[in-house]
Parts: sequence; structure tokens; C-alpha cells
Amino acid sequence: MNRAILVILGVMAALVVGVGVIVVILVATGGDGDGTTQTQETPAGDGDDGGGGEGELRLIGGEPISLDPHVIQDAGSALYVVEIFSGLLTLDPNLEIQPDLAAEIPTEENGGKVVNADGTVTYTFQLREGLLFHDRKPVFAETVKASFERAADPATQSLVSEFFLGDIVGVTEKLRGQANEISGIEVIDETTLTITIEADLPSFLFKLTYPTAFVIDPTQVENDPNWTRRPNGTGPYKLKEWRFGERIVLEANERYHLGAPNIETVRYLLSGSSITLYEAGDIDVAGVALDDLERIQDPADALNAEYRSGNRLSLDYLGFNTNSPPFDDPLVRRAFAMAIDKAQIARAVYQDAIPVANSILMPGLSAYSETAQPPAFDVEAAIELLNQSSYKGADGLPEIVLAESGTGATSGPGTTAMLEMWRVNLGVDVQIQQAEAATFFQDVDQGRYQMFTLGWIMDYPDEEDILNIHFDSDSPNNNTGYSNPDVDALLRAALIEPDPGTRIDLYRQAEDIILDEVPWFPLFFDQFHALVKPYVDNYLIPASIVPRLRFISLDD
Amino acid sequence: MQGLLSYTIQRLLWAPVILLFVSFFAFALTRLGPVDSVDVLAGPQANDEAKERVRQELHLDDSIFEQYSVYMKNLLTEGDFGESVTIYRGVPVWDIIWPRMLVSIQFGIVALFFAFSIGTLVGVFAALRQGTWLDPLSISSFLFFQSIPVLVSLPFLVLIFVVKLGWLPAVGWGGPEVDIGPQEIALGIFSKHIILPALVLSLPGMAGVARLVRATTLSVLGEDYVRTARAKGLPELQVVRSHVVRNSLLPLVTVIGLSLTTLIEGAFFVELILGIPGIGQLGFQAAQSRDYDVILALVLVIAAAFIFINIITDIAYTFIDPRIRFGGQGNN
Repeated sequence: MNRAILVILGVMAALVVGVGVIVVILVATGGDGDGTTQTQETPAGDGDDGGGGEGELRLIGGEPISLDPHVIQDAGSALYVVEIFSGLLTLDPNLEIQPDLAAEIPTEENGGKVVNADGTVTYTFQLREGLLFHDRKPVFAETVKASFERAADPATQSLVSEFFLGDIVGVTEKLRGQANEISGIEVIDETTLTITIEADLPSFLFKLTYPTAFVIDPTQVENDPNWTRRPNGTGPYKLKEWRFGERIVLEANERYHLGAPNIETVRYLLSGSSITLYEAGDIDVAGVALDDLERIQDPADALNAEYRSGNRLSLDYLGFNTNSPPFDDPLVRRAFAMAIDKAQIARAVYQDAIPVANSILMPGLSAYSETAQPPAFDVEAAIELLNQSSYKGADGLPEIVLAESGTGATSGPGTTAMLEMWRVNLGVDVQIQQAEAATFFQDVDQGRYQMFTLGWIMDYPDEEDILNIHFDSDSPNNNTGYSNPDVDALLRAALIEPDPGTRIDLYRQAEDIILDEVPWFPLFFDQFHALVKPYVDNYLIPASIVPRLRFISLDD
Repeated sequence: MQGLLSYTIQRLLWAPVILLFVSFFAFALTRLGPVDSVDVLAGPQANDEAKERVRQELHLDDSIFEQYSVYMKNLLTEGDFGESVTIYRGVPVWDIIWPRMLVSIQFGIVALFFAFSIGTLVGVFAALRQGTWLDPLSISSFLFFQSIPVLVSLPFLVLIFVVKLGWLPAVGWGGPEVDIGPQEIALGIFSKHIILPALVLSLPGMAGVARLVRATTLSVLGEDYVRTARAKGLPELQVVRSHVVRNSLLPLVTVIGLSLTTLIEGAFFVELILGIPGIGQLGFQAAQSRDYDVILALVLVIAAAFIFINIITDIAYTFIDPRIRFGGQGNN
């Protein structure tokens, strides 16, 4: 071969080798342990002592940030964590609390819940007999206590432990490094423990179903720096493989204490286009984006028979900064709300695929009311309100900017429709400002925007998780600066109201005032749209992220 | 050759200094931007106290200089690139980065190969057809490809080869798998998955190579030795192969290093659009979610690759053209 070509090939080869050498050098010095993501290599179908499920379910999912139950707080990670780990209590697919590691839910009737003289409340949890981790290590009351203490250890770096566990006496001290143990958790015997909380808070048991309260294997966490890549949990599925960016494979835990799963293996693809993969037969269930929905909802479409949908505990809303002109005037907020025809947007933009929200509380919450009255679409009344406001009509308004999360692409059709309605109905030109997600959330928190669009997904199905945390004037999550002493009083009373009926009343009264004063204007509830192959049975679409894989089965 | 040796040593000694500057600027840029890793992680459930506590644990509340010196100390003494915070929480950065590098390198090299081989053929062809309509047509059609950004050409190619013809897989990455320690990676280089990314990335480079080769071939064609070869009565094909092409390819060596810039830039888009788990995709993700240590490691690795390739190119150049001398020893 001729010399010039040799030289060129030589340079290219040197390039390859060179990069390779850098890699090798860095690996030799850089790597930390073997760092494998592969866990135990059990061949599929090896079901050692039988009783396990069979077959493989193929799904698509997002990449988790971590499988450490105590630090995660995103739905993408929780999806896997709720299948691999479990806690004292769990939520069933109807979002009812059920006992998990605990043998029963502690109540006043069964003697598991005692209100103490100082107002604190002590729950006694009796664990089930013979609880085992995936590696067959037993679970004792001591293990549960150690898990809570690990979650509340500042070194765990959990951003959510205070929110979910802070009701427990002693958790704050532990988090601040002022105590080594959580004083409110006591081990009575090998399978019994008590948890004491600051006050009688009806939402506390819900918080125990969140991953922050899940049980980890303390010996594994202590000894294996890479434990989150081969976690030892107590949930219905074990992690078999997590290959970053590509797939997560779960394997049935035949000894699961609530009953072995029906399906042996669940394989999640971590990238790719959901509907393309579904049509190619590579996955058994696919989420459907709004763009594809129109086609699939058409009865003539081949996929129509496989379409399912389910409500989610999620709300899209328009937020007004009540401290920032012109939205410091409630009349202006109302006027802006009343100029929006949500039904029209739902029909024209979303083909009626998502339900219009007429309340802040979603269906599925006990205080949800179909008769809630948010400001209704009424152009004349809206103009009238604007004229009555301290800004004396559209001409008196300052420049208005609507902020949304985005990276410079065109706004979604929903936002564009709202802008158009304000322009046509009120004669107000609203500008749009996009900020990249992380910056956007921070700026919302710090009240830097006049008006923004945002969604809220419930962490657990209790009104506290949306009303108290967003509308109590002292709440750090109050993102509109809204403050009303009456609302504060109602919300704080509801928080500790033991009677469910009275509690619902209190929350409804608070919601009515909030809807009337419009710090938030509810736009749409969220729905999950999916395609499910006909051979997949009992594929439930719960309104929130709960363990559900073990209920699914496959036809032969 | 002594000049070359001292030149090489000099360049190699400069490399760490450059890397040090790069690392400090990258470090400072990430830390000085608005919103940090903790803000990204923190959902609405996190209050300020919790955020502050986690910042302390991650040492994000220390001064930039303190943080930088700790980082560099860990890197230099233990080869520790730190841990991911917001993408794969708690996972050592190196475990995340290097499987992805091996993926990006695969289609990068194939793209380089496409660009140079096809570009050379077109360049020589155009030069030999100088004066006919084939010359401007071939060069300008490749210029056309160069002018189309990857962001535009990629969806087009996907539409044609994936959606319409169904010849190539739509997304993702695959192929025979090898275990490289932290995890297994797929060798897309042995599967159809390589074709689309490599092709798209090579298109812009091809035109550049073709034009360069055309220009040098034209000048070589005018050289005495070509005339002599022809006068000897050698068949035209042989003249072209052993006298023209051979000499006109030399300058190409210098642009290999430059093409790499284009490759890395393009890789970001290609990996994002096709869903290839390489460093481009990771870099985008890391920047969006403020995963400081991941960003920094990527910057350092890419910078090191650039420096290394430039040194190699310079050295290669002296072998090809001995007239070039280095290192202040005067000229010939």
C-alpha cells in the first residue's frame, strides 16, 4: 500500500490506541471497586423453590436517579423503588392504606394507636411473622428502626426525610445532628415497635407509605458503597440488572410476604419512543402522548381496542404571584381566569383527552367536590372586573409576562390558546418567558414571576399534600405569596381534625375561599393514556405510584 | 530528530498546564451559574433547612477555591473523579462516563473513516474532471451536505431509512455486547445501529475533505513528476494511484484533528435525537441537571483528547514533511 495512506491509517490507529490508553490509565486509577451494576446472576426460570411467576413483561420507563428509597423524590425513581422495597404500610391500587411489613394498620379500635396526655400519639406496629429481605436475611423491629434512623441521618443527604418523617418525635433533632437516635421510635421486642408523633395527624399513616419510610438492609448500606445498584429490599420484585441508559430488569420475589408476583421477569427499556416500540411489538404496554391520542381514540384505528386510560392525582394550574402587580389585586386575577375558556382549549387542543379541572382537589381525594365553583368563563364579567380593579381596565395594566418551563421551543398549544384568549377577550398582550426547568422552579419558589403555569402531582392521597403546603401562609411551598388568615385557620384545623367528615368540610371551605381569590386557577386534571396488549391481564393504572406489578399476569 | 523530540516533550509538558486551566474554568463556570445540584434535586417537599443541610454534606457551601482544591487533590492523588449527584446519585463519575465514551468513540471513528474515504474519492474525482461539469457538480453537492446542520439532516435520514424504507432501527443503540467492568456495553460498530449516526456525522466533514483533496490533487497534477510519469507512458490509472493520490493526501493528516471538533459537537445532537447512550447525551443531561462532577470529568476528558490528538497530528506531520522543523532551532 502506498505510504501516504499508511500514514493516515497510522494516525487514525494512533488516535484509537491513544484514546484507549487514556481510558485504560484513567480506569486503572479512577474506578472505585468493581462497580458492577449486575446483581446476582440467576438464570431466568431458575425458580429454585417454585411458586414463582412465569413469563416476561416488557415495559418502557424513565431512568431512575437512584434506587435509594430514602433520597429519591421523583416519580421516575419511585416507579422502581416501590417494587423493590417496602415499608410498614403500603397503598393498594385504589390508594387505600394496607398493611405491608406491619401485620395490621394500627387504629384506636385494635389498640395500636394511643393519644398520650401531652397530645402526642403513639402507634404500635406489629411486624408480620418471618419477614425476609431478598437475600433471605430476616427483618426485625430493630431493622425498621435502623432504616428510619438512616433516612434521618444528615449523611444520607435526603432532601425529603424531614417532610415525610418530620412528624415523628426526634426526627428533626436527628437531622440536625443533635441526636444519634430517633427518640420517638422504640423497639419493644423482636417484631414490635412503637412510633410516637408530635400530634394526632391524620395524614401521618399516608406518609409512611412513601419510600422515605421504606426499610433498607442496614448491613448492606453500611458495607457496600454500590448497594443502590444491587439493592436488597423487601418488595415484590428484586433488581436483576440495571444497565445505565438501556434497561432495568426486575425478577419476581417468590417469597414476597403479600403473595408472589404472577410474572417472573419485568423488563424496562430506558430509552426509545414508546409508541414505535409498541407497534413494533417490542414492548407490551406503552404510554400514549397527546399527539398520538387522536389517532388511537378513533374507533377505526387498529390500536383502539388496546387503549386504556386512568386518572392521575395531578393538576395543571395557572399560578398568580399575589405580591406582584397587577396580580396583587384579586379582581385582576379573577378577570384573567374568567377570560379563559378551558372547555374550548380541551376540545380544540387536547381533543377532550384531558378533563377540565373545576377544583384544586382532584377526583380520588375524599374532599373532592364536583360542585366546586372556580371563576367561570365569562368575557363580559371579566372585562367588568378589570375595569373595577385598582388598575382601571386593560390600559392601566403593567407589562405582563407568563413564565413556563421550557428551553426555547415554541410554547405548547394550550399556553398559546390562553395568550390568545387574553388578547382577544381582555385586550391584554401577555408575553411569554421560558426558563430551563431547574431555574424555573427556583424562580417560582422565590416569587420572581408574575404568573406561571405549573403542575402538581400528589405525593400521597391526602388533601394536606396540596392545600396545606401551597396555601398556608407559613408554608415554604406557598409559591404565590397567598395569605389569608381564614384559610390558614381552616387548613390548620383540618390538619389535626380526627373526624373524617369534619375534616372534609374544613378542607372544602378552605378550597372554596381559595378558588374565589384565585392564587391558583385550576386548568386540567391529568390522565394517563396507555396501550396495553390484549394478552396482558389486570394491568391497573393507579392514580399514583404504588406497587402494582405483582397484580399483572400474562395469558399463555 | 532532536528538534522533534524536544518539541514533543515541550508539548507534553504544556498539556497538564492547559488541563489545569481548563479544569479551573470549567469548575468555576459550573459553580457560579444559577441553581445548583441541590436545587435541581429538591422537590417542593424540601425546605430551606434541608437544602442547606445537604449542601453542607456535599460541601457545596464551601468557597469555590476550597472545593476546587479538594476536587483536584482527589483527582490527582486517587484518580477520583467524584460522584454523580443528580443523574445517578452516588455513583462514581468514572463508572458512568467511560462506558459512554466507548459508545461515542465507536461511531466517531466510523464517521471519521466515512468522511475521509468518501471525501478523498470525491476530491480526486473532481480534480481529475477539472474543467468539466462533473467537477463543480460533485463538489457542490457535497457542499450542500455540509451546509445542512445535523439537526436538519438527521430527521430527514430517519424519515427515509427508518420510517419509509424500514432498513435501519429507529432509536437506541445495540449490537454484540462486551463486559467492560462497570457494565456491559453494546458494540454498535458490528450492527446496523452504527450506520445512521456515523453517516450523519460524516456528512459535514466529507465536503471539507473533498475540497482539500481536490485542491492538493490539482497542484500535484501540475508537478513535473506527474508529467514525467505520463511521458513514460504509464497508464493514467497508475499515474493517479501512485503519483497523484499519494502526494495529494499528505495535507489531510492535519485536518484529522480539526474534524474531531466537528465530531464532538455533532455527537451531542446525534445522541440526543437517536437516543444513543454516549457522552453527548450524558453531557447534555449533566448540564441540565447541574451534575458538577460529571460535567467536569467530561470537559477534562474531551480536553485531554484534543490535546493528545493535536500532539499526534503535529508529530505525524513532521514525518510526512521533513521540511517542517520545530522548537526555535531556526529554519532551513
